[in-house]
Amino acid sequence: MSTITDITERYDPGFRSETVRYAWYGLLAVLLLVGGWATWRRLTVGMASTNLSSVTPWGAWVAFYIYFVGLSAGAFLVSTLANVFEVEGFEQIDRDALFAAVVSMVVALLFVWVDLGRMDRMYYPFVWRQPTSALSWEVHAYVAYVAVLVTELYFSMRLDLARVAARARGWRATLCRLLTLGRTSTSAASGRTDRRWLKRTGLVGIPLAIFMVHGGTGVLFAVAKARPYWNSGLFPIIFVVSAVVSGTALVTVLYVVRTKLIAGDAVDRDLLDRLGQLLAAFVVTDAALTAIEALIAINSLHPHELETWLVVLFGEMSWSFWWFMVGFGWVFPLVVLSKRSWRRSPFPAASAGLFVVVGIVAVRFNIVVPPQILPVMEGLPHGSYVPSTVEWLTSLGIVAVGLLLYSLGAEILPLKPLESTPHGGDDT
Amino acid sequence: MSGTDEPLPSVPDDPRREALDAMVDREALDPRDELEKTTYRTDLGIAMAEDARRVGRGELSSEAYWQKYDRAAAAEFGDDYRETPNPAVDRAEQTIDDEIAESLSCSVGSMDGVAESLEGVAAEESEGEGDEKWGMVIDLQKCVGCDSCTVACKAENRTPPGVTYNVVMEEEHGEYPDVTRTNVPRPCMQCDNPPCVQVCPVSATYKMENGVVNVDYDRCIGCRYCMIACPYGARYFDFGENYDDEVDGAGEIQSPEYGVDRGPRTDGESPVGNVRKCSFCTHRLNRGEEPACVETCIGDARNAGDLNDPDSEVSKLADSSRAFQLKEAEGTDPNVYYLK
Ligand code: SF4
Ligand code: SF4
Repeated sequence: MSTITDITERYDPGFRSETVRYAWYGLLAVLLLVGGWATWRRLTVGMASTNLSSVTPWGAWVAFYIYFVGLSAGAFLVSTLANVFEVEGFEQIDRDALFAAVVSMVVALLFVWVDLGRMDRMYYPFVWRQPTSALSWEVHAYVAYVAVLVTELYFSMRLDLARVAARARGWRATLCRLLTLGRTSTSAASGRTDRRWLKRTGLVGIPLAIFMVHGGTGVLFAVAKARPYWNSGLFPIIFVVSAVVSGTALVTVLYVVRTKLIAGDAVDRDLLDRLGQLLAAFVVTDAALTAIEALIAINSLHPHELETWLVVLFGEMSWSFWWFMVGFGWVFPLVVLSKRSWRRSPFPAASAGLFVVVGIVAVRFNIVVPPQILPVMEGLPHGSYVPSTVEWLTSLGIVAVGLLLYSLGAEILPLKPLESTPHGGDDT
Repeated sequence: MSGTDEPLPSVPDDPRREALDAMVDREALDPRDELEKTTYRTDLGIAMAEDARRVGRGELSSEAYWQKYDRAAAAEFGDDYRETPNPAVDRAEQTIDDEIAESLSCSVGSMDGVAESLEGVAAEESEGEGDEKWGMVIDLQKCVGCDSCTVACKAENRTPPGVTYNVVMEEEHGEYPDVTRTNVPRPCMQCDNPPCVQVCPVSATYKMENGVVNVDYDRCIGCRYCMIACPYGARYFDFGENYDDEVDGAGEIQSPEYGVDRGPRTDGESPVGNVRKCSFCTHRLNRGEEPACVETCIGDARNAGDLNDPDSEVSKLADSSRAFQLKEAEGTDPNVYYLK
C-alpha cells in the first residue's frame, strides 16, 4: 500500500535523464521539420511530387499504411494476452501495447490521408458507401477498432489515473482526473469492474482486429483479381501473421526502452523470454507461410505470378527482400532469439525486436509494389517505382508524429502499472 | 436540351466579341445605296426593314406591322405582293402549305413537312433513349496500328500528359523471319461486371443505364483502388500535369466529359487528383455522334453502336464467330468486342 502512495506522490514517469529527453525531442523536431517541408511540397505540387504513375498507382504511402495497421493489430493482439488471456507477466506491457496500437492507427490513417488524390474529400467514405468494396468496409472497421482500443486503454489505466488524480499535485494530476472521465474511485470493486469491461472489450476487439482490421486490409489486396500475386486465399492470413510478428517485436522494444529510459526499473527477464519465444514462433510461421505462398505461385506457372516473384527476388528493389525482409525480419531475430541468455537480456532482445520492426517495412513494400511493376496486359508499359524524396520525407515526418505522440504519452500517462501486483485496488 | 441562352459547353466567351460585331457592321452594305439600285421606293424599304427588326426584337407585333404597311406595300409591289404568301399573317403557325411551297419551288418542302419530319426523328430518338447499351467492336484485321484513335481521343477529351483513354497495344508473334504483328486498340471495356465499380469505396464510379461506366469527378477521392482492380489498365490518374509548354492555352477549356462542363483546367480542382478513363465519348453519344476514335479510324476498324438492338451493326459483328473479348476468364464481360 505504502509503495503506491510513494510512487504517486512523486508521480513523474518522464525520461530519467534530461539529456536523453532533449536529444530525443530535438531529433523528433528535426524529423518533423523535414517532414513538414515535404508535406508542404506534397500539398502544393500535388501527386506529381511522387514517383507514382498510372501503372504503379500505389507506393510507399500505401506500404506504410498497411505496415502501421499491421503494427497496431499486432500490438493489440499482444495486449489481449494480458487482459483477456491473463498470461503471467504480460500485464506490465498491456498499456504499452494498447497505446502503441492507438498511435499506430493514427499514423496509418495519416498515411492513407496523404495518399488520397483529393485530400479534401477524406470524409467522403462516411457519406457515400459501396457494399462490395473492401475499402469501404475497412474505413468503418478502423473507426470501430480505434474506439475499442481507446476504450480498452481507458479501462486498463483508469484505476491508476484515479490514484494519480487523488494523490499527486499539479497539471499531471488535473489531466489524469480529466482522463478518468469522472470515475475517480480507487476501490477494489471499481478495479474489478474495470477489468471485467477491459476483458469484454478485448474479446470484441480480437475478431475485429484479426478479421476486419488486418485480415480485412489483406482482403483489400486479395480481392484484386487483376493482380494474381495478391489474389490468393492465403494472403490475408500471411497479413495477419506478419502483423503479429511486427506487433510482438514492437512491444518488446517499447518495453525495454520504457523500463530503461523512463521507469528505470529492472527488466523482467522472464517476460522478455516469453516475448522472445513468441516472436520467434511467429517469425517461423510467417516465413513458412510466405514460402508456401511462393511455392504455390511458382507452381502455378502463371506468367504474371512468376514474373512478379522474379521482380521480388531479382528486381530493382530486391535488396529490400534479401536484406530487410529475409535478413532483418527473419534471420537476424531468429539467430538472436534462439539463444536463451540473449533472449533474456534487454539489449539483444530489443535489437532483435527493432530489426523485425524495420524488416517488416520491407515485407509491406514487397507486398504493395512488385505486382504493379508488370503491366496488367502484355503490350502496356512496364512500371518502375522507387519512392521520391517527397514520399520518403513525408513518411519520415508522419512516423515522427507517431513517435512524438507515443513519447508524450509515455511521459505523461501511467503506462507502467503503479503496482506490481496487477489485480488490486487500494483497500485489498 | 439546354437553354439556348447558355453558352455551349466548351465554347468560351470570346472577349473579342465586340470587335467581331464591329467587323460585321463594317462589312454590311449600306441599305440606302442598295435600295436605290431598285425601281422601288427607298424610304418605304428602309422604314419596313427597321420596323421588321423591331418585330424581331419583340417591340412591335407582326399584326401592327402589317396594319401599318399592308396598303403601302400593296400599292408599291402590286400583284407580286398579293400572290406571295405571307406565313406571318396567313397561318397561325407561321408556315406555308405544300401547294404554295411547290409553286415557289422550295426544295425542302413545306415548313410543316420539315417540322413534321423533325418531330418524327425526335420521337424515334426518344423511343430509343434509355434502353441502349453502348458497345464497340474493333476489327483487328482492319487496324493498321496508326494510333489515330489515340490522337483523336486526346484531342477530343483534352486529356493531360500521362492520361490516355485509348492506347494501341502492339503484339509481336513468332520469330524472325516469320513475324506477325497484331495491333490491339484498348479503350475502357465498359465491362458489364466492372471490378473498378466493385471496389470504389464511395461509389464514385458506377455503371450508367446506357452501359457506360462513369466516374463522378466530384465524388472520387483519388484512392486509386479502381486502378488496382481494372484488369485492362484502362484507368489513369490525373497528376495535374499540363501541356502548357507544348500548346498555347492548353488548359483553357476542358472536354465536357459525361456532359459536365468544368470550365478551364485549374490546379487542384477535379479532375486533377481523380482517376479518369474512356467514357465512350458520352458527351458525343448524347448528341448523336460517334466516339471520336470511331469517327477518325482510317481503316474503319472501329464500330460503335447499340448492343441492345439486334439489328445494329455492332450487334451483328459482336455475334460473329470472329468476335472475342479481352481476358474473358476475368468474368468482367466487356462491352468492347474484337474481331480476330
Ligand atoms: S475496363 Fe477497367 S475501367 Fe473499364 S469498366 Fe472494365 S474494369 Fe472498369
Ligand atoms: S480513385 Fe476514385 S473512382 Fe477510383 S476507387 Fe477511388 S474514389 Fe473510386
